[in-house]
Amino acid sequence: MSKTITISPTSRQEGHATLSLEVDDEGIVTTGRYYSITPVRGIEKMVIGKRPESAPVIVQRICGVCPVTHTLASVEAIDDSLKIEIPKTAQILREMCLNAHMVNSHAIHHFLVAPDFVPSEDYKQVVKNISEIRKQAQFVEDVIGGEGIHPSDIRIGGMAHNITKNTKNKIKTRINGVIKLIEQHVEQMTKYVEAKEFPEDLGKHAQPVLATSNTYGSRQNISLSSINEIMPNSWYADKYTSQEDEEFAEETKKTAKKIGKTACSQIPLYDNTPVETGPRARANKYRKFKDVGVKAQHLARAQEMINSAERILELVDKIDPSAQTMAKFNLEGTDRLGVGVIEGPRGTNLHTAKISSDGFISEYNCIVPTTWNIPTMGMATEGNHYDYAPDVIRAYDPCLSCATHMIVVDDESKEVLKEDMVQL
Amino acid sequence: MIQDSVLGPHQEILTARATDKKILKNAQDGGIVTALLVYALEKNIIDGTIVAGDGNEPWKPEPIVATTKKEILKSSGTKYTMCPNLAMIKEATRSYGLEKIGTVGTPCQVMGIRKMQTYPMGLRHVTDKIALIAGIYCMENFPYDSLKAFIQDKAETVPSKVVKMDISKGKLFIRTSDNETAIPIKETHGYEQSGCQYCMDYVAELSDFSCGSVGAKEGWSTIIKRTDTGASLIDNAVEDGVLEVVETNEGKFGLEMLRKLATNKKKKRQKNIDKALDIGLEVPFTKSDLKEDILENR
Repeated sequence: MSKTITISPTSRQEGHATLSLEVDDEGIVTTGRYYSITPVRGIEKMVIGKRPESAPVIVQRICGVCPVTHTLASVEAIDDSLKIEIPKTAQILREMCLNAHMVNSHAIHHFLVAPDFVPSEDYKQVVKNISEIRKQAQFVEDVIGGEGIHPSDIRIGGMAHNITKNTKNKIKTRINGVIKLIEQHVEQMTKYVEAKEFPEDLGKHAQPVLATSNTYGSRQNISLSSINEIMPNSWYADKYTSQEDEEFAEETKKTAKKIGKTACSQIPLYDNTPVETGPRARANKYRKFKDVGVKAQHLARAQEMINSAERILELVDKIDPSAQTMAKFNLEGTDRLGVGVIEGPRGTNLHTAKISSDGFISEYNCIVPTTWNIPTMGMATEGNHYDYAPDVIRAYDPCLSCATHMIVVDDESKEVLKEDMVQL
Repeated sequence: MIQDSVLGPHQEILTARATDKKILKNAQDGGIVTALLVYALEKNIIDGTIVAGDGNEPWKPEPIVATTKKEILKSSGTKYTMCPNLAMIKEATRSYGLEKIGTVGTPCQVMGIRKMQTYPMGLRHVTDKIALIAGIYCMENFPYDSLKAFIQDKAETVPSKVVKMDISKGKLFIRTSDNETAIPIKETHGYEQSGCQYCMDYVAELSDFSCGSVGAKEGWSTIIKRTDTGASLIDNAVEDGVLEVVETNEGKFGLEMLRKLATNKKKKRQKNIDKALDIGLEVPFTKSDLKEDILENR
């Protein structure tokens, strides 16, 4: 006899979500469904009809945890739509800012998972290390992006300011100084994660990975025609409601229907299947990292902090403080769909934008990292006891405020109106 | 700390000037601000400062971030027009990467900085990096167009020919290489920026230290030590021979004069404030009948 376990809201993550698990008599999850219940803000709709330069400023407000990622994806999409080639130094600054953000964001996630892994006697010291790492990473974000949260200097056409020679040296000194601490912290976290007693196959799934670059993001490595976004109702409920036979219990059908109507995010499929994106996906594709599962995700994320810090050091030497950082361009709409792809801390962040010929935004769409992971996360809980399910979810570092979309329900019939989706 | 509603809270008042001849050459009076900023930079108390540097037009300063002695020296001397130094504070902590900023400002700018520190809206990782606030005495300030009017209409010359401007003994002096025009301050009324009509602060009461020529003999400055930061900077500078100190004149042309000017400014401006409040205008100051001491700057 199967029963349904519901955890709502799931904890120690950004935003609100529900985890609904069908379990068998031994408590082993047979079907896992993870869905967002974070309210919609309508940001994609808000930018329609605005001037292009408003878009990065508005969409960065999608989230305070990774605004750098959204700002970069937005300017990249608009640069692409307007066919602007940005100066080389601006490109380097953008990548440095993203990598500093990567270090910072992964460190924040270590705060969130510390209660799961870190022994109480080491807790204080680990938290202290995380704070120090974040401080140095935020310094780099501040000086390059103009603002650590909601960066103001990442602009369409490049960067608003170059950094001075003095700042360049400071970044070098500070990152060189903190990289040892990062290495030590990663080593420590790795030790804790490896020591944790988890079932061998916890979090393993057969889904493919999605990643476009090791440290920045590339629109060349993603194919828009392979992406298919489906409505939550078809993902969570169709399978159960379309079959009229006795294969599914009444209870199961009822739960599935309810989830289909409550879930606040679209389900993106790449080549018609859900994918995993994020640090493990990048490590798998670009850094020869082959492990799968919860522990693998934590290890890949920790390792990526070193990877990003090293990248900052590599890039900082290439900066010419006297170079131009803004491209010269006329803001003329092209009616062309621009694509911005950024590898954010939680995975591939895709923004698409179209600027109409009269110079206003006519189309804007985001498929953000956690949206990709939502269907995969549910699947990854399957095959193990439900007690471990929250650990599986936390391994993905989900950030739901940016993943939220809204469905429209007919007031009278309470049916989902599939054709009408209010976004993000 | 002496609580004083006329000169603001302070620890000590002294008369001093810079010892460096190079600084004195271009200085307005005693070269105090320049000498102390350079000293603070050399002692690593600040790692850069925002000063009124040269702009596109003569005598029209632009705020610049100075990180070397040379840059600070280049911007010494008073320019009698507004220079929006505070506009650069955030940028100084960003692309310039400064972590200990020295700032120089008129009383209103100092009030602005203190307000920023109290309510750091949009100023994340900025206000904690302000290391020093030097205040300068100010009766009122002029928009650049007013300054041009004085130079062109009253002194009958052009800004590029002016070598020094100075306000002393109730007059605005405009000097060219071969001429000097003195405009009575009374004649400049109506040319000042409108905000000055409601300002109660003559001596930058909220700064770390403030200084100006009033109360000292020519070529010297009166320094008011206020916070511990300001006081220790000045004490060390005196000890290291960066500043030389003479006895302060407490009499009619010394501190009495400073107190008189500060009191007059306060009384005059309080009247304007009362008048504005009476007709329902919003000015961020308190009406005199609600104050225990009408000289209080609030």
